[in-house]
Amino acid sequence: MGDRPLRRPLTPARVAVVSLGMGCLLVLVGCVALLVGTAHISFDQVRALFHAGGDSQVETARLILLDIRLPRIILAALVGFALALGGVVFQALLRNPLADPFILGVSSGSAFGAIIGILLGLGTGFGVPAMSFAGALSTLVLLLSLGIKRIGMESSTILLTGVIINAFFTAMIMFFVSVSADAKLHSMLFWLYGDLSQTSYSHVSLIAPVVLVSSLLVYSFANRLNLLTAGEGSALRMGVDVVRTKLVLLVVVSLMIGTVVAFSGLIGFVGLIVPHLARMAFGSDHRLLIPAAALGGATFLVVADTLARALIAPSELPVGVISAFVGAPFFLYLLLARGSRWSRS
Amino acid sequence: MEPILSLQGVGFRYGRQSVLADIDLRVAPGQMLGILGPNGSGKSTLLSLMDGTLSPEPGVVLLDGAPMETLSRSHIARRIATVSQEEHFRFDFSVLEVALMGRFPHMGRLQFEGERDLEVAHRALEATRCLQLAKRSIHELSGGERQRVLIARALAQEPSLMLLDEPTSFLDLKFKREIFQLIDRLRTEKDLGVVVVSHDIDLVAQYCTQILLLEGGSIYRTGSPSEVITAENIEAVFDCPVRVDEDPETGKPRVSIT
Amino acid sequence: MGPTRTRARLFAMLALCVWAGMLQGAVYTDALGRKLILDQEPGRIVTLAPSLTEIVYFLGLGDRVVGVTQFSSYPPEAQSKPKVGSYVNLSVEQIISLAPDLVIGTADGNRPAIVELLEKAGIPVFVVNPRNTREVIQTIRDIGHLCGVAEKAQVLARELSTRVDRIVAKTSGLDRPLVFLQVNTRPLMTVNADTFSSDLIRLAGGRNLADQEPIHYPRLSIEEVIGREPQVIIVSSMERGGEFEEVRQQWLSMPMIPAAKTGRVYLVDSDLIDRPSPRIVEGLELLARDIHPEADWGH
Repeated sequence: MGDRPLRRPLTPARVAVVSLGMGCLLVLVGCVALLVGTAHISFDQVRALFHAGGDSQVETARLILLDIRLPRIILAALVGFALALGGVVFQALLRNPLADPFILGVSSGSAFGAIIGILLGLGTGFGVPAMSFAGALSTLVLLLSLGIKRIGMESSTILLTGVIINAFFTAMIMFFVSVSADAKLHSMLFWLYGDLSQTSYSHVSLIAPVVLVSSLLVYSFANRLNLLTAGEGSALRMGVDVVRTKLVLLVVVSLMIGTVVAFSGLIGFVGLIVPHLARMAFGSDHRLLIPAAALGGATFLVVADTLARALIAPSELPVGVISAFVGAPFFLYLLLARGSRWSRS
Repeated sequence: MEPILSLQGVGFRYGRQSVLADIDLRVAPGQMLGILGPNGSGKSTLLSLMDGTLSPEPGVVLLDGAPMETLSRSHIARRIATVSQEEHFRFDFSVLEVALMGRFPHMGRLQFEGERDLEVAHRALEATRCLQLAKRSIHELSGGERQRVLIARALAQEPSLMLLDEPTSFLDLKFKREIFQLIDRLRTEKDLGVVVVSHDIDLVAQYCTQILLLEGGSIYRTGSPSEVITAENIEAVFDCPVRVDEDPETGKPRVSIT
Repeated sequence: MGPTRTRARLFAMLALCVWAGMLQGAVYTDALGRKLILDQEPGRIVTLAPSLTEIVYFLGLGDRVVGVTQFSSYPPEAQSKPKVGSYVNLSVEQIISLAPDLVIGTADGNRPAIVELLEKAGIPVFVVNPRNTREVIQTIRDIGHLCGVAEKAQVLARELSTRVDRIVAKTSGLDRPLVFLQVNTRPLMTVNADTFSSDLIRLAGGRNLADQEPIHYPRLSIEEVIGREPQVIIVSSMERGGEFEEVRQQWLSMPMIPAAKTGRVYLVDSDLIDRPSPRIVEGLELLARDIHPEADWGH
C-alpha cells in the first residue's frame, strides 16, 4: 500500500460542510433582507416582536416583517434555488454550458399561460398561476412528443425542439401583448420580468414541497449526471440508463420550474449564471455542485429581490431587471475569459 | 483457458443493410486481439457488439458463458471496459475524478466513493503512469496524456476484458508507441484480455497475440500475426500493394507500403 | 348692352361675391393652437379615442360618426361603427378611406405623425387636450361648437358643471381623508397628481396618497402604502367579483391600515374615473359618496 498522497476529492462530509455553510449564508442574507424595506423597522422593534402583545406600532412592524417581507424572501429563496438547480441539470443533460432552465420552452409556455390568464381577468392569487402551470405542462408534453418519440432522446434534438417551441410561444406572447389594452399591459410586462411582490404563505406552502421533492429526486441522479457529462456512450457502457435518466430529470425539472415560474414570472440569468459560479468555486462534480448551486441561487435571488425593493424606494423594480443587470456583464466576462474552454471538444 | 468473451455466429444489420455476418471469435485472459480492416468493414460495430452496446442479430455473445442479453449493464461493466473515441468532457474534471468515474459499476446505493475505490483508482493511475497528473484538469492534458487517463478510468472498472477503439488515431508517433506498450504491459501484468481496433498495422502486428482481419463485414482471416499479416491478405483486403517481411529482432511481421 | 345694364351686372356680381364670401367656413382653434377651417357642419366624423367617441355621442351626434377606435365600448351603439385601429396604433389608410370631413383626436395618446398625415390628405383634424375635469367639460363645449350644436353643448356642459359644483360644495367643509387609489394589482400601481383620477379625488374632497410621486403611474411597495396609512382605499378595475374580492380581502386582512380597520375598501369602474369623457362626472359622484359617506347625498 505505502504512502498515499491522494485523498478522495469528494466525501459526504465535504458535501455536508459546504451545504451547511451556504445554508448559513442564506439565512444570514435572509435576515438582512428582512430588515430592508421602505418602512423603517429598527432593531428594537424587531426585539419587541418576540414579546407578545405590544402597541399598534409593533403590530404594524409584525405585519410588515412576517406577512409581507418574510413570505417574499422565502419565495425568492425557493425560486432562486429551483432556477439554479434547473440550470445545473439542463446544462448537464444538454451538455451545453449555455443552457438555462428556460431553454426548452417551459418558460415561454408558462408566460403564455399567464398572459392568457391575465387577459381573462383571472386573479393573481391562484388563477394566473394555474394558467401558467398549464402552459408549462403543455410545452413539456409538446417537447416530449415532438422531440423524443420520433427522434430519440438525443441532446441536440431536444435542444432544437425546445428552441422551436420557445420561438413559437414567444411569437404568440408578442401577439397578445401587442393587441392588449393598456390596463393589462402593466401586469403582463411585470410578469415577463419577474415579480415576487404580494406573495403569501399559501403560495409558498404550495411551492416548497414541490421544490423539496424535486431536488431530492434530482440529487439521487447526481453521480449519473457526472458520467453523462463525460460522454453519453461511456456513461451507457458503465451502466447508466441514459434514456431513463434524461427523461426522468427532464420531466421533474420542467414541472418544478413550471410550478415556480407560475408564481414568480420569468426571472432570467439566475439559472444560467449561478451554476457557472458554483462550478468555478466547487468543481463540476454534481454531488457537490447541485446543493452548492441551488443554495447559491437562493442567496443570489434574495439579494437581487432586496435590491429590487430598495434601489428606487418607495417604488419597486422588477426583480428580473436586477438579475439581468448583474447577469449580463458576468456572462460576457465568462464568454471572453473562458470561452476558449468551451469551444474545445 | 475459458474465454472471457465468445461470439458465435454473430451478425448485425442496420435496417436492411447487413453490416456484419458470421462472426465467430473468442477472447481469453492474457490475449491481445487486434482487429484490422478498411473503413466500413464493420470494426466499430463489432466492438459495440462485444461490449453489449448493440445486440447481435443473429447469433449470440457470451460473457463468461452467459448470453449478454441476460446480464445487467452494471454486471457487464464490471467485466468489460471500453475505451472509445468520442469522449468530450463538457465540463472540467480532474484526472483523479475521471479515474474514479470508472468505479461507478462497483458503487452501491450511496454513490460516494469509499477507501477501496480510491485505492483502485490510485493503482490504475499508477499503472498508466498518470499519478502525477492526478490534480490536473482533463482539459489541460495533451492527447497522449488524456488517452492514458481514459485507460486508467477503464482499468478502475477492474475489468477482465478491455476493448479499445482506435486508441492511437490522433496521437503522435511517440504516444502511439506509449499506448501500445502500456496496453501490452497491462495485459501481461494483470492478465487482462484486450481487444484493439486500430489502423496502425505495424503496432498491431508487433503487440497483438491474435489478429482478426475483417472485410466487408465478415472475417477474412484470423490467427496469429504471421498467419494473418501476409502480403496477399493485406493487398486483398486493403487494395494496396505492400511488402511483408519479418522483423529480425522480434520475428513479428513487418509491413511496408510499396 | 348699354352702360346701365353693364353696371347692374357688375353690381350683381359683386353682391354675389360678397354673399359667397359670407358663406366661407368658420375658423376654429384647437388645443394645440392649430387653426381649422370648416366649410359646413361636419357630417362624417371619425374619433381617435374612446373618450372622444363618448363625447360625440353625448352631444347627440351619434349618427354622424363614421369611424371609431378599437376600444370605444361606450355607448354600446358605437361598437358597431367601423374601426380605425386603437388610439395608440391608428390606421391612417382606414381613416382616409372613410372620407371623413372631421377627425377629432387627443394630444394624450394619438401620435402627432398621424395628425400630419391626415392634414396632408386634406382632412381637418381637431386635437383636444383636457387635463382635468373642468377642462373635460370645456372640451365638450368646444366639440359641440365645432359640430354646429353649440347651444345644446352649452346646456349639457352646464348640467355637468352644476353637478361638479354641488359635490365640491358638499365636501368642501369636511375633513379630507387620505385616499389610496389602486389601478393595478401586480405590480401595485397608483396615480399621481397629474392624472384625471387624482383630480377627481381632490374634487370629491379627498387627498391622493401618491400626489407627490414623480411619475404618473407610480409602482409602490405595499409596505409604503401601509406606512402612509390611507383612510380610504379605492380599487379601480373593470372586473367585478373575482379579482376585486381577492384584493379587497387582502387589504382587509391588514387592520393597521385605517381603511382596512373601518372596512372602507371600494371598487369603482376604471372607465368612469380614468376617461376624459362626460361619465367622469358620474365617476366623481361615486367617489364622493365613497370618500364622504357622511355627507347628505339626498337619495
